[in-house]
Amino acid sequence: MTPSTLDALIEALRCLPGVGPKSAQRMAYHMLQRDQRGAARLASALSKALEVLRHCARCNTFTEDDICQRCANPQRDPRLLCVVEMPSDLAMMEQTHAFKGMYYVLMGRMSPLDGIGPRELKLEKLVERATDGQVEEVILATNFTNEGEVTAHTVGELMRARGLKVSRIARGVPVGGELEHTDIGTIAQALIERRSV
Amino acid sequence: MGQKQRVDQQPGFVLHTHPYRETSLIVEVFSRDYGRMALVAKGARRPMSALRGVLMAYQPLLLDWSGGGEVKTLIRAEWLGGQPLLSGKELLCGYYLNELLVKLLPREDAHAELYAHYAALIQRLPGETRFEPVLRAFELTLLSELGYGVPLEHDAETESPIEADAHYGYIIDRGPVRDVSPEDGLPMVTGQTLLDMAAGRFDDPKTLVQSKALLRHLIQHHLGAQPLHSRRMFKELQAL
Repeated sequence: MTPSTLDALIEALRCLPGVGPKSAQRMAYHMLQRDQRGAARLASALSKALEVLRHCARCNTFTEDDICQRCANPQRDPRLLCVVEMPSDLAMMEQTHAFKGMYYVLMGRMSPLDGIGPRELKLEKLVERATDGQVEEVILATNFTNEGEVTAHTVGELMRARGLKVSRIARGVPVGGELEHTDIGTIAQALIERRSV
Repeated sequence: MGQKQRVDQQPGFVLHTHPYRETSLIVEVFSRDYGRMALVAKGARRPMSALRGVLMAYQPLLLDWSGGGEVKTLIRAEWLGGQPLLSGKELLCGYYLNELLVKLLPREDAHAELYAHYAALIQRLPGETRFEPVLRAFELTLLSELGYGVPLEHDAETESPIEADAHYGYIIDRGPVRDVSPEDGLPMVTGQTLLDMAAGRFDDPKTLVQSKALLRHLIQHHLGAQPLHSRRMFKELQAL
């Protein structure tokens, strides 16, 4: 018989994505037996994060303040609003140093077959953000999966209906990429979406 | 349990995927000769997986799998190409089609005719401007192929041929009947709508409206309590 506290810990660890009963058990034993200090650090970091972090009122990403530093930065261009799926996508966009506008993080993507739609994504919050009177162009930077594409379509329609300019990031052969080593789906789509020069 | 078997170069489409374990996917596919199948694509969620870009819905694929249980193991997926990626409204239609198939099609039950209809429809979705007629035709094929039977040409009580000018109420599993009162709560259609549906003609606006209501009623009956998410999303999108 495992004591119930241990059971509760194992059960709690299963809330992590991709963690089944076996992995949860391994993690629990590891933390209790081999790394109690690490476990304590995890526990306090987790409860601090839950207590302090919230969604930025403007871009919806995680922040400790009402409005995150990026949204509060007067150097950024308030006329451009880039819509991404996840904070990790925002981080990638920032690494490009190619974008000086504002962001909106959806915290997910539409997945009609899983029942995730406009309501679950709280798109009304994005509509409110985009119609602040300053945003002129909405840049759709969701993923090039079917889910990302249907999200882009939905957001695009909502924005267009409100008189905003809507654009979609381009897709095609990667920078420095050679056709020979690019997957054929990408090349096919790059051909379909070719542009005149 | 079924014998362990290997299937090679089977034409099919991905209908839906679910994450499975840390790096794998469960892929629901609609294959030509084996119907709807669940395949596990091992490692397909790893960043460098060759399967990652291939296992996209609405793209014709050639699939190899093996295994004996309910969930087989995907060995290879080859992208056939020639199909532009869906976007916009056509993508929403695609989701609707896939949701119907995932929820109504039993696993491992071949439906060659339905497969052919689906493959042809996916191909013509890009650039399609009138989605409603093609969706109605697919719904009708789906219901008849699943063996639910949608009698359209004869009065279910008198067995006399449908008259274009008459009004009919539709009884599930039986067919159209005349002289029903509104209190019966049956979906009502004109004879012309029934004849148009039987002939696969969905161009007439009145036929389109009535057949939509009738087919929705039939589909909902077969779905039971399961909701159709994609239909709800169409509505939400219009409301926003």
